[in-house]
Amino acid sequence: MEEYNSGDEVVFSADEATSSVKECIEGVIGGTEYNQSKVNQWTASIVEHSLTHLVKQGRPFKYIVNCTIMQKSGAGLHTANSCYWDTATDGSCTVRWENRTMYCVVSVFAVAVPL
Amino acid sequence: MEEYQNGSEGSFNSEETDGIVKECIESVVAGDDYSQSQVNKWTASIVERCLTQLVKQGKPYKYIVTCAVMQKTGAGLHTANSCYWDTAMDGSCTVRWENRTMYCVVSVFAVAIA
Repeated sequence: MEEYNSGDEVVFSADEATSSVKECIEGVIGGTEYNQSKVNQWTASIVEHSLTHLVKQGRPFKYIVNCTIMQKSGAGLHTANSCYWDTATDGSCTVRWENRTMYCVVSVFAVAVPL
Repeated sequence: MEEYQNGSEGSFNSEETDGIVKECIESVVAGDDYSQSQVNKWTASIVERCLTQLVKQGKPYKYIVTCAVMQKTGAGLHTANSCYWDTAMDGSCTVRWENRTMYCVVSVFAVAIA
């Protein structure tokens, strides 16, 4: 694994991750309409860009990024997650985004790496 | 955190986890039709049961369990996930389940504790 910045706090910053992820979503699907042939490409891009941004921060965390895109058709979608970890150092954030034709939900889970 | 068993496998066993997750899903929603008033309860139960069963194994892992339940109406649903971790020790497994009226997708991510 790469070296980490020394002197950084080992606490997950959900606010920073949230804005990072929002930018990634906008960058990939901002202004587009739901398109069955492109959606696989979109979810893959979103998780990849988000992960790259997070890793670039150089903090001592392992990351899991999850992205779900659903066409707006009146169907119900419910998600839940549960985590067994160290609540002092680990954390998560979930970003919900939508436009006229689709919903996008991205979750980031960060697990601290012991230094 | 609780004590862990010695001598456990050093890497994540996704087959075993797959079986555990399937059982948990079946025990919560098998035989039910999609119900808007119950679905929040179902997703919460599923993640809670999965997590409890996984922790019971006593392996040295932190776990993240996610569950999505979607009504079957012909709408498209796509999910992707990407992980930055130690590929030798950490792992994940995703279980897709469906019945006549709904889809259920559960993902388990296991991160080894050094």
